[in-house]
Amino acid sequence: MNMEKTKTEQNKTIFELQNLCHHFGEGKKRNNVLYKLNLKIQEGQFVSLVGPSGSGKSVLLRALVGTHPPRSGNVIVYSGKNNEIAVIKKKPDRDIGIVYQAYSLFPFLTAIENVAFGLKLDQTKMLGRLLLPIGWRRLRKQHMELAEEMLNKVGLSEAKDRYPSELSGGMRQRVAIAQALIMKPRIILLDEPFGALDEATRNDLQDLLLTLYQENLAEMKKGNRPAYTVLLVTHELYEALRVGDRVLGLSPHWDWKKEHERFPGAKIVYDEPAPIYSPDKPADFAAMQRQKNKIRKAVFDPIEE
Amino acid sequence: MVGKPLKPWQSMLVMWLSVIIILAGYTFLSNRQHEINANDKTIPTWSQLKEGIQKIVEKNERSGERWLVEDAKASAERLFLGLFYGFFGALFLGLFMGCFPLLDSGLSWPLSILSKLPPTAALALFFVVLGVGTNMYVGVIVVGILPISTLTIRLATRDIPKELINKALTLGASKGEMVFSVIFRHILPKVIDTLRLQIGPALVFLIAAEYACAHVGFGYRLRLQARLVNMDVVYPYLVILILFGFTFDFLLVILQKLTCRWYVEERSGEHGKN
Repeated sequence: MNMEKTKTEQNKTIFELQNLCHHFGEGKKRNNVLYKLNLKIQEGQFVSLVGPSGSGKSVLLRALVGTHPPRSGNVIVYSGKNNEIAVIKKKPDRDIGIVYQAYSLFPFLTAIENVAFGLKLDQTKMLGRLLLPIGWRRLRKQHMELAEEMLNKVGLSEAKDRYPSELSGGMRQRVAIAQALIMKPRIILLDEPFGALDEATRNDLQDLLLTLYQENLAEMKKGNRPAYTVLLVTHELYEALRVGDRVLGLSPHWDWKKEHERFPGAKIVYDEPAPIYSPDKPADFAAMQRQKNKIRKAVFDPIEE
Repeated sequence: MVGKPLKPWQSMLVMWLSVIIILAGYTFLSNRQHEINANDKTIPTWSQLKEGIQKIVEKNERSGERWLVEDAKASAERLFLGLFYGFFGALFLGLFMGCFPLLDSGLSWPLSILSKLPPTAALALFFVVLGVGTNMYVGVIVVGILPISTLTIRLATRDIPKELINKALTLGASKGEMVFSVIFRHILPKVIDTLRLQIGPALVFLIAAEYACAHVGFGYRLRLQARLVNMDVVYPYLVILILFGFTFDFLLVILQKLTCRWYVEERSGEHGKN
């Protein structure tokens, strides 16, 4: 195992970055990308991450997934009854679910098989499926029932037997979200998931996320733990503000020249709560515009010398 | 209009028209040749071809065997064994080379060198190493198709989007499941396409080897009859080889439709869009 486990106090934090730094190359060719990122995401939060192109959002996402661990610093995922177990993330596993903009589904599986695929990988082994076919068939039936329920949840039960190539872009992303949700990961990363969709479909999918957020609120009211924690990476500030209850801005535009000779990497320069919306609550465009202006100034505009 | 797709009946009509034109052209040429030389065997008439076919399918007076049966049996055994070992070897190597860089760096250079070797040029080597039995023909086919098929499958494996690999990892896939449940299933249609493309070269290697060394088989019969300018036997044999290739290809297309419906529909969707 390449994971370290430590006991921590009871906390609501589900995900943490500690002094996360990342760079490519060494010596003169060294290209600094991320610099000392510190962040705590609480269980049930829907966090939007925005930033200019080239600010390192994708690099950060890869570090979070575990495919490109940071050069220094840690990504910590908390689990356990009271989030008391801290695991330093060094490789991809089922703690983190991900939905990409493209290639979000396995093309050789139907919609329902795509959703059930994670359960198959997680709960069974290849040899077991071969040696115990009857038990596997029984379990498979349960997986398919759960997958169908999940497809119902995202409004796609009628398309369950279609292959991804037979689905529209919006339908594919719904299936991809269902595929991530069914695994109940600690956090779901959405990597510009609606970037290639038309506005109406994008709104529908934002509504789907808002519905999940409302489910979180309902659970918390009952005193239960919220089921979904989301980190949404997006270019769209409107989307970031509508879906997220918190907005983070990752930017290379910060005052690094005071302490550094060369650019040390992008930092989180904006971290503010965002208004909470529900699918049926109309957005307050005036308030949104004010916050968009603030984000644009803090994250996208170069600082004045 | 340029690029405008034809209606199905138009495609059929054009296809049959081309067949009729070829047959009519052949009949015309054959008749003309026989007007010049009544005993000509280079472009046999239809009745000569009928006699040739009879020679192929009826029991031979001298050997007591039917040429078609003994040749087809020998060539088919060699071809199937060659394709089996060559292709499954390539599948195994290509898949694992694409997945595991260590294996890739160890094997890619010898395979690249081997892929440049025309196996028909090294017949003498196969003759010495593997003898004159079935193994030699199988060896020629394996060396002919394995390197290229391996490299093609390796490339297909490497072309899998990283996102899908990462996604499978976040869903809890182990290494074995990654290779067999994700990567293999993703490349399977391309694997079948590669096999389809290798039937032609495999037949070339087999016929060439049989031409040079065999005592039975399609290549042997073609060499013998071509020397005697018995084109009434050679042409039907060529047609049989074409039909053989077509049948094999057709079976693979069916296999692809059965095992990779997603790929067939994706491709037909793309063609529909175009």
